[in-house]
Amino acid sequence: MGAVSYPDSLVVNFITENLIPLRIQSDAEPYVSNFKLRWTPTLITLDPKGVERQRTVGFLQPMELIPSLLLGIAKVDFDMGCYVLAMERLERIMTEHPTCAVAPEAVYLRGVAGYKRDGAAQPLKDAYEKLNADYPGNLWTRRADPYRLL
Amino acid sequence: MIQKEVEWRMDFDQAISLAGKENKAVLLDFFNPE
Repeated sequence: MGAVSYPDSLVVNFITENLIPLRIQSDAEPYVSNFKLRWTPTLITLDPKGVERQRTVGFLQPMELIPSLLLGIAKVDFDMGCYVLAMERLERIMTEHPTCAVAPEAVYLRGVAGYKRDGAAQPLKDAYEKLNADYPGNLWTRRADPYRLL
Repeated sequence: MIQKEVEWRMDFDQAISLAGKENKAVLLDFFNPE
């Protein structure tokens, strides 16, 4: 990550604008125990109170790192009940990074955030239909399968 | 041209405090120094 992804200018700009970047050495206690670290690289997105909201393990190319970080921030918004903000970030993944690995999860979570915001089932059905059309056979398409019945 | 770099914080408590003030999420990277 340090040699390839972090020096990328788009990654630098994204992290600088959107996150507080924190590096902890992989043997530093109590953090290694508190976060149950087992392997590096491990990237964890924390909310402003320090609660873990997303974790990735393994190398990510710049073109995968940015949408992954965006998903982590969206999960912070989602977990804090900021559904509109979460949906804006998830839509950014869907439109700017539609072929990245986390795009199907973004579609799924956007549907759930829409349901949470409105209390109506249509966003869930929309999510299933987009997943089935754009990402057939994907894990998140299978997870959304019940929503086709709504 | 000066190459910009990620300005990493190294202190957990300071990073969380700053995140609260700026209402931002924290990217915690556990790195292997070797």
